[in-house]
Parts: sequence; structure tokens; C-alpha cells
Amino acid sequence: MASDAAAPAAIKPRSRLFSDPWQQALALVYALLLFFIVYPLAQLFVSSLRAEGGAWSLAHFHDFFALRYYRSALDHSLFVGTMVTLFSTALGVPLAAAVARWGVPGKALLRALVVLPLVSPPFVGAYSWILLLGRNGWITNLLGRIYAAVHPAAAESAASGGVLWAGTIYGPRGIILALTLNLYPFVFLLVSASLSSIDESLEEAAANLGSTPWRTFRTVTAPLLTPAILGGALLVFLTAIADFGCPVIIGEDYLVLPTLIYGLFINEMGGEPAMAATASVVLLGLTTAVLLTERWYVARRSYAMSGLRRPREREAAGRLGLSPRLRALATVFAYGIIGLSLIPAAVVLATSFFPSSGPMMHPGFSLGNYATVFRSVPRAMFNSLYLSGISTLLCVLLGVVVGYLLVRRASRVTAGLDALLMVPYAIPGTVLAVALISAFGAPPLLLTGTVALLVISYVIRRLPYAVRGVVAVLHNIEPATEEASLSLGASPGRTFRRVTLPLMMPGVISGAVMTWVQVISEISSTILLYFGAWATMSVAIYQQVLSDNFGTAAAASSLLLVAVFLPLLVFNVWQGERAAELV
Amino acid sequence: MSVGLTLRGLRKRFGGHQALAGVDLEVLAGEFFCLVGPSGCGKTTLLRCVAGFARPDAGEITCDGERLDPLPPHRRNLGMVFQNYALFPHLSVRENVAYGLRARRMPASALAKRVEQALAMVHLAHRARSFPGMLSGGEQQRVATARALAIEPRLLLMDEPLSNLDAKLRVEMRQEIRRVQRSLGITTLYVTHDQEEALALSDRIAVMNAGTLEQIGNPLEIYRNPATTFVAGFIGHTNFLPGMVESMTGGEAQVRLRNAPPTTALSDVVVRIPAGDLAPGEAVTVALRPERFSLAAPGAAGTMRGRLQEITFLGAITRLLVQIAAGPVTVELHGHAGEGLTPGAEVSLAVEGETAKVFREGE
Repeated sequence: MASDAAAPAAIKPRSRLFSDPWQQALALVYALLLFFIVYPLAQLFVSSLRAEGGAWSLAHFHDFFALRYYRSALDHSLFVGTMVTLFSTALGVPLAAAVARWGVPGKALLRALVVLPLVSPPFVGAYSWILLLGRNGWITNLLGRIYAAVHPAAAESAASGGVLWAGTIYGPRGIILALTLNLYPFVFLLVSASLSSIDESLEEAAANLGSTPWRTFRTVTAPLLTPAILGGALLVFLTAIADFGCPVIIGEDYLVLPTLIYGLFINEMGGEPAMAATASVVLLGLTTAVLLTERWYVARRSYAMSGLRRPREREAAGRLGLSPRLRALATVFAYGIIGLSLIPAAVVLATSFFPSSGPMMHPGFSLGNYATVFRSVPRAMFNSLYLSGISTLLCVLLGVVVGYLLVRRASRVTAGLDALLMVPYAIPGTVLAVALISAFGAPPLLLTGTVALLVISYVIRRLPYAVRGVVAVLHNIEPATEEASLSLGASPGRTFRRVTLPLMMPGVISGAVMTWVQVISEISSTILLYFGAWATMSVAIYQQVLSDNFGTAAAASSLLLVAVFLPLLVFNVWQGERAAELV
Repeated sequence: MSVGLTLRGLRKRFGGHQALAGVDLEVLAGEFFCLVGPSGCGKTTLLRCVAGFARPDAGEITCDGERLDPLPPHRRNLGMVFQNYALFPHLSVRENVAYGLRARRMPASALAKRVEQALAMVHLAHRARSFPGMLSGGEQQRVATARALAIEPRLLLMDEPLSNLDAKLRVEMRQEIRRVQRSLGITTLYVTHDQEEALALSDRIAVMNAGTLEQIGNPLEIYRNPATTFVAGFIGHTNFLPGMVESMTGGEAQVRLRNAPPTTALSDVVVRIPAGDLAPGEAVTVALRPERFSLAAPGAAGTMRGRLQEITFLGAITRLLVQIAAGPVTVELHGHAGEGLTPGAEVSLAVEGETAKVFREGE
């Protein structure tokens, strides 16, 4: 064959062969994100920059930083966020070391229990600390009685409401206590994962080179753990300063940014939406700055871990030369912390079965509180299940599509999508609610007062997590597996259904469970976006606490906890069986 | 013999990297054809173009008279064995093998029979119910082969299918693959970077370098008669020595080797080689295989003197590194030759000049 015979036919453009529904999906996802994230945020900025007459102005920002009322909320948020982060790190890091390295008995149980506080709604935690330590709390009253027994004279003058404790749990202390016990598992999870991924031979090499165990920890282990500790601390800080439910229940006069924004919006005097938008921009600026700083730092010093040897957990004296006595101490510490953080759930459950009238609890057993819940807020239970169901479904569907696009159709276009999906990480629920209202609160795009807006806010905030789950699973599925299916004659659609999707399933389902868990206990955006009959369980609990119906609130909280824990339990059992099946 | 697969003018560029720079190739029906070359030479890209996972920028791919390149991968009916096997972890061995048949909606009874045959062929009938995670590397490799063959493809593509196995198993599986391929008579395109594997398996070999085919031929031709210095260096070990054609006598050329830099003076060594179309005074590169050297009596005519630098005992052979005036040469001796030598010793080497290949500058 002559080599100059007919220059080989040029191949037709790519689009024909690979024209597939994914391209359309990509366009749709972009449109959705631009419309429901970028546009509302733009509107939020516009609202914060418009003066009364409609002219551009920085007056609101000037007011925010000049007036003590606003400024103090920022200071409070920073203080609470910092303290919660410090305490969570102080609890989470040693706990991770205890469980991952120090041979504390019952590791599997500890690892399972430690996740529970994380998925319990913070406002339920705050509320249970009020039940224990509040003005009429069990412990407060108990101590009051002890105090009265010891100092009968002094107790006479003080009301029975606990002279020692009254007021101390309200405000920053309560917020910090409740949020710390809620959020420290973030630090634990990241650090213990990192600890078990450090190649054991690194530490052996250090020992071989003559380094003492403590020196090895300082010079080898600790630097390798730094990104994980920072990552955990960042999650704690972001969650803490964005939290609305905890400060609104236990904070009383101590305003933080989310409660300030809520107050500015829902005001008996008519509200100040422009000031609410300004405070929202400040909060968003804060979360964004923290997030970007952490990214920058971690990108600069992340280490590729090449070794495959996972560290063994030392049975006897651990690698830090732990004596039996120290190990016993570590055990007490680990169980103590986890026990402490499980108190809220236990207290709420126990309280829900006490006969009650208003804030007064009586000893005994009764299902009266549950009867009240079913009588007075039946709609709220339905609403929560319905909204969480729809949001989870949408979130998972979108998550699968977006995750697939990001991994298998990676291009410059999808890289933009990836960057866009980072935005919701930084948006606190309160801020998103204000942004959505300022974008869709007026014609022609009137969506406020519809269920759609609630669902949109849930889906937007959880989508990045769902996508991240799918992306992680997809990265573990080699493209060759899908290519094998194609080469065996299965069409792209059949390949996706028969190979890709089944292999993605564990990630998809765990994403669905986590979305459900987070959405059903959501309060920070719900409280601003719900209307009329569409109050959810979390809103109902908040209202019951405000009305001092503690028994009803406890019963409603218990039901909420069941709705959170049950899917987790089912999922874990299913996963355990699956793991056994696949060996 | 009829043609199984034809490639014409295949080109593919990834960014600034020309992976395929115009490849023309014909693989005969029933032939076991190896593409061999260093990593990054484009051999895997070529295979992926045939399979349909990469789109060539230009060129034609024809199989049994049908153009393949306009077809999407799942309509090409080619069996492919992947480097990491790409078994479906959520499906049993049986279902893995049945996968392509189910995609073709084969009736259940015929399907069961075909799966059984395919598994029997690779001696894995007893593992049908197992899941891929429970199999050894060699078993996974067999399943991948059975899965690719079950669909009765018109072409079998294999992408370094043995590179994840240990050395001993690799040699066993090599024979296994060859046996199955022969019994089915299926046209096979096999990609490897292991030249020994290519020599052992192939009917014909194409040596690839930088996106082009350097030489196509049967294993013996490729080894004995490399067309370029690249082929000579890549297939087996070769000593390259610079020289100059001194004179021609009766179909033989006397090439005097040059001394290694920094001195470029001519040494005393003359190699007699088949003359070909060489001309006196021409500068050439002489390629000599290590096994073509032998130890000679000191000072014998036509031998080259050198100093022994390293000696490595490898069992059946002993490998020497000898510094001669023209540069370092690797020498392989069989049997007991070389026993008792120590580094630093003076040695004299004889060479079978008629086996040398001579390349002009730039060849």
C-alpha cells in the first residue's frame, strides 16, 4: 500500500461519538448552582450595600462596626468559636491518640459512640444542659438542696432556684459547653484517621536512628498530624460560628452573629433586612476567610504518604511508653469524655417520660408528653419527614450526577463546577436563608412562602457533602472497570447502570444517610424560611422550649433523635453485613 | 493469509506530546502480534485507539474489512484484557464472564454453556461462584482472559496482562495465554514493555519508539537483524562501538574501532564484518551482542585487549565488563569460561565479527 495514498480521513468532531445526556446534565447543574447560589449571594451583597434611598453606600457596614450592639455579636461569635475550637481540639486529639494508639479497651464501641454527639442536633444538647444546670435544672436543684442543708440560713434568702448555679449556664458558658461536646468528634475523626494512615516504619525508623518515643512523637508524628488537626479544628470553628440553635436556646441575651441576624430579620418592629444582610455578609466573610486560610496552609504542607504499612495498635505499653497506670488513666479519660457527650441524649430521653406541666417535672413515668406532641404538633413530624425525604432524594440524585461529571468527565468546565461547589461549605444556614429571601422574596421570582425554598436551601447546603462522598467512591473505581464493560459490548447507559452505579452504592447510601441526618435536625435556615403550617420538628422544639413546655420539647427531641439514629443504625448493620459478604 | 487488523496513518497527540506519529500496521488473521517498547512510546495509546477508548486525531482502523474507528467501544466486539484485569468486584466470576453475553441478550441456556466453556478453557470452572476479591493474581488474570474470550471477539487485545504477576507465574501464564490463543486461532494484539515476553510469545513483533514503529518482524529477525540502533539496544543487550571502515575485501569489510573519548585515535582492533554497501572511510557504529565475544589466548591475531572491570556470576552464564580501547563492553560467557578471573586482570577478547550489525551515523 502506497504511503501517500489518500491522506487518512480526518476524524469527525468529538461531539458525535460522545454526545450523551451528561453534557445536558452539566449545563443544568451549572444553571441550578448559578441561580440558587451565586444569584442569591449577589443579591445579599446588593442589599447590604444599598442605603435607605437605594443609593450605593457603605453606611450599613459602618454602622455594623461602629455600633456596639452589632459589633459585640461579632466579638461573641469569634470568642465562642475560638473557645469551642480550643476545647474540642484539647478533647479530640488525646482521645484519638487513646483510641488509635494507646490500646484503650473497647475501641470499636468507642468509635461507634463518638459519632453520636456529632449527629445530635446542637439545640437538643443546649436544651438538655438547661434541664440539668439551668435555673430549675436537676443538678441545680440538687445542689440547692445540699446547700440549704449545709447553710440553712443562707439558703433562706435565696430562692429555691439554686443560688450557686443560676444564670451561669446561660450565655457563653452554656454555648461553649454544649457546642464543644457536640463538635469535638470532628477533631477525633480526622486525627484518628490520620494516625492510622501514618506509615509505621516512619516511627520505627526514628527509633532506629536513636530517637526517644517522645522525641519521635514531637518530630515525626506530630508534624504529620498537623493537617488533620487543623482540618478538624476548622470544621469545628466553622460549625460553631454558624450555629444558630445552641445560642438561641441557651445564649439568652448573649447574641452571636446568627442570632443577631435572626433578630434583625424577625423583629416585632418590622425588621431591618438591610442590616441583617450586612451582618450576613460579615459572617460569610469570616467563614470564607477561615476556609481559604486553611486551604492555603494545608496545600503548602501536605505530605504524600507512600507507605502501605498500617500501624499496628500496640497491645502492651504503647509507643509513647505508656505504663499500665497511664493506660488506665487514658481509658478513664476516653470513656469519661464520650460518656459526658452522651449525657444530653440520655437526659432528653429520660425527661421525655416524666409527667410534666409546663416547666415543672414530677417524678414518675408517663407517656403524656408524647401524647401532647402527637396532639399539638402532628404536622411538624410529617413536615420533617417529608422535607428531609425530598431533600435527601434530590441531593443524592444531584450528587451522583455532579460527582460522576467531576470525576469521569473532568474538564475545565467541570473544574469550575467543582470550585462553585466549594461555596456552600462557607455559607452558614442563617446567611443562606437571608440570601434566598433577598433574591426570591419579591416578584418576579417570588419563592418565599413556598416549600420549594426550604428544600432548595437544604439541598444547596448538603450537596457538596453528597458530591464529595460520590467523588471519593468514584476515585476508587478504576476507569478500566467501566472500559471493560464497554469493550464487552455493554452500552454507556448499561455500563453506568450495571457497573458504575452498583459500585458507587455504598458511597451514595452513606451520603443519603448523612444528608437525612443533617436536614431533619436543621434549624438555622428553617427558622427563617418556614411559614405557616410548614414548621418542622426542630422549629416545634424551639417553640416548646420558648414556651417553657419542657416535657413536650423533650418528647419531640427524643422523636427527632430516633429519626436521626435509626437510619444510621440500619445503615451500619447493612454495611457490616455487606462487608462480611464480600470478605 | 488474510488480514485481521489494519491501521493506516494513525495519529494521536496529547497536549504537546505526540503519542502516535502516523502508524501503519497490518496484523494477519490468527496472528499473535506484540507491540513492544519503552513506557511512553505510544503502544498503550495505540491499543486504546483500537479498543475505542482513545480517539485518534487522524487515521483509519479496519478489522475484517470493517472500519472500526467510527464505532463506539461497545459496538466493536473486541475482547480486551486490562493490565489490572478490571474485574467487576460486585459480580461473581461466573457473572463477570457472563457480562458481555448478557449485554448481547444471549439466551440463558446458551449463555450458561458458553460461560462454562470459557471457564474450563482457563481451568477455573471450580471458582465460578467466587468473587474477584477472593482470587489470587493468576486466577484473576485467567478470569479476565475468559471474560474477554467468552464474547467470541473478532480480535483479542491485551494490555500488559502479566505485569502484575511475579516472575515465575508470569512465565507460566505466558505459556497459558499462548496455548489458549493457538487453540482458538484468534488474532491477538498484545502490548508489553518486556522484550523477553514479546520474543517468547509472538508470531511477529513491532518495536515502538516515540510514537512510530521502528521495525516489524518475527522474533528471530528482530533479534538477529535489528533495523535501527534503538531496536538493537531495546531487544536484548548490545554493545555499541564507534568505528571506521578501513578496507573492503571480497564481501568483507574491515572496520577499525575508534578509541573511546577523550582520545579519538584509531585502536589496533579490526572487526571483519559483512560488507553490505559500505564504502571505505565511512564512520559507523558497530553493534555486537555480549554472547558473541569469547576469551582468547593473549596476543592472538584479531583479538582485542582489555582490562576486566567487573565480573558477575549468574549461574549458566558469567557476565564480564571489560574496558577495551574503544570503550566498555559487556561480555557473556557460557559454562566454565571465565572462572578464576578477578577484576583488574588483563584479558584478550575474540569476537564473531560476522554477527555484528553496522549502522551508519544517525541510523
